[in-house]
Amino acid sequence: MISLRHIRKCFRDGEREVEVLRDLDLEVARGGFTAVVGPSGSGKSTLLYIAGALDADFEGDAVVAGRDLRSLSVRERAAFRNGSVGFVFQSFNLLPALPAVENTLLPGLFVPPGSPALPLGQLRARALEALDRVGLADKAERLPGRLSGGERQRVAIARALLSRPAVLLADEPTGNLDAVSGEAVIQLFSGMVRDGVTVLVVTHEERVSAAAGQVLHLENGRLR
Amino acid sequence: MRLRSLVHLASLNLRSDLRGTAVNTAAACVGAAALVFFVAFGMGVGQAARLLFPGDARLVEVVPGAVSLGAALGGGALDDAAVGRLRELRGVEGAWRRLALRVPIAASRPPEGVRMNWPTGFTVQVPVVGVDGGLVAADLAPGRKFDDPPAGEAIPVLASRRLLEVYNKTIAPAWNLRRLPPGLDLMGLQIPVQVGFSIIPQKTEDRVYDARLALAGLSDRVPLYSLAVPVETVRRLHKEYGKADAGYSSVVLEVARPDDVPDVAAAVRRMGFAVDEGERAMAERVGLAITVTAGALALLALLMTALAALAIAQSLSASVRGRTRDIAILQSLGATAGDVRALVLAEAGLVGLAGGVVGVGIAWLSARGVDAAALRLLPDFPFRPTTFFLFPPWIFALGVGVSAAAALLGALAPAALAARIDPARSIS
Repeated sequence: MISLRHIRKCFRDGEREVEVLRDLDLEVARGGFTAVVGPSGSGKSTLLYIAGALDADFEGDAVVAGRDLRSLSVRERAAFRNGSVGFVFQSFNLLPALPAVENTLLPGLFVPPGSPALPLGQLRARALEALDRVGLADKAERLPGRLSGGERQRVAIARALLSRPAVLLADEPTGNLDAVSGEAVIQLFSGMVRDGVTVLVVTHEERVSAAAGQVLHLENGRLR
Repeated sequence: MRLRSLVHLASLNLRSDLRGTAVNTAAACVGAAALVFFVAFGMGVGQAARLLFPGDARLVEVVPGAVSLGAALGGGALDDAAVGRLRELRGVEGAWRRLALRVPIAASRPPEGVRMNWPTGFTVQVPVVGVDGGLVAADLAPGRKFDDPPAGEAIPVLASRRLLEVYNKTIAPAWNLRRLPPGLDLMGLQIPVQVGFSIIPQKTEDRVYDARLALAGLSDRVPLYSLAVPVETVRRLHKEYGKADAGYSSVVLEVARPDDVPDVAAAVRRMGFAVDEGERAMAERVGLAITVTAGALALLALLMTALAALAIAQSLSASVRGRTRDIAILQSLGATAGDVRALVLAEAGLVGLAGGVVGVGIAWLSARGVDAAALRLLPDFPFRPTTFFLFPPWIFALGVGVSAAAALLGALAPAALAARIDPARSIS
């Protein structure tokens, strides 16, 4: 489901070129739950952005959910992010001015031309369904600022699930959560894996990696 | 991104920043309000001025030359032969004669058919000019004829439309006379007159007899302080009183297109006649002054709209910079650069539309306020308009359209800025 081969990614730091990922290989099977662990600044998030087609500036081959990411146009990458992958971030990345349900239905607004788009009413119903799955149906109209950290992350997971993606990419999803909330998020991920979703989590928390079926360590730009 | 989704998200974003939205809407609103107000004002004042100076752009009034070199050069008196030659000029569709009556006519009794408190002993001299029926045919009241009548019957007359207004607004109040009703109610009114009688000593003719004038219509083609009778009536009266034929006072040429007027006027001058441009020139000068003033005000309003666009551009740029992360989040969820650009433009478009609608409303209300104040503060004068503003339906579309266009124009740069956001850099 996720196949990264010979991935090389560099950043420019003034005149200096910093190599973050070097000849990195990663294989995650369909329905697998993989955790990538490593210290801060090791390139975990960069790896995730490459797998999620947020970052197209890399060398190597990346095939995710059956799509060769290097061959996609800008527009196709956007469509891929919309339908094939779901993102969950450490800082939740909800739009603060929108209620939970509006945040959840956002991916449905960006359905690419040619794909069936739901009317707003049905989209809202599906967003409420997704919120119900994460146990937040009763807080659908609340703004993110009036939700706890754990609840916000669950809204972000509901949003990621709206398009029923094949792959879920999570960047330090429990980093800002207490133990109880973090555990709830891990349980949600496990449930998604049971439903056939491929989950790739980058984390430096042991409680997350403990739940994963495969744990990889990112060091010096390579996985081992 | 579908239009409904776009509008939905843009509305949510605008609602989330009510202060910024209000400021941008106010900027768009001021521009639209000023534009609509000034354009409506210019058109309203223009219309009022046209009532006051009803210059017909297709009419050329030919008068005998000030210095005549005689018939040898084709000038001299405006007789029937000259009228024939004038009628043949290229671009001329009609030539209508005017002949001033040189027999005095005075009215010493009130008109019949209308209630009027005529002052005792009051006599008014009536200036009369004979005109061809064709010149005023369109202004005759239904069923009225404009021919020299048989002996004993009332002579049909047309009065200036402006004379009625001037009488009601200045003469009647000054002399404490009853005001006359609107034009159509006056048709058929008869004025008893004495033909041959003059209030000026020594000017009364040897023979004075009673006659009646019957109002057959109101026309802007009749000189302000004259009554128009059929030109044949004037010729008959001249004959009755032994007045020598001195040619017509003027000939009014009707040309096909206003653009033809300069060529026709030049040809007339080459024939040795003069062109009386007094009234037309006045109408043109007033029209030009109004056009220039209204144009300058509209330009000022457009400048205000441009400033509004700049303010919106600045505000939206700041908003986009402040929402960099939010935009990156949208991109992570599948928004393309085009979606992001469209979203910023949609926000601006909605602000512009809202500002335009409110601005047009404010302009309309302000106009009503100015009209109400004018009604209360300005003295009554001839042709005082009931409104100084004209609001044709298209002006509302203009206000809203210009406001939306200005907002969209202002949003172009911020939209481009938003579309350039790199999600991978901005989201973390």
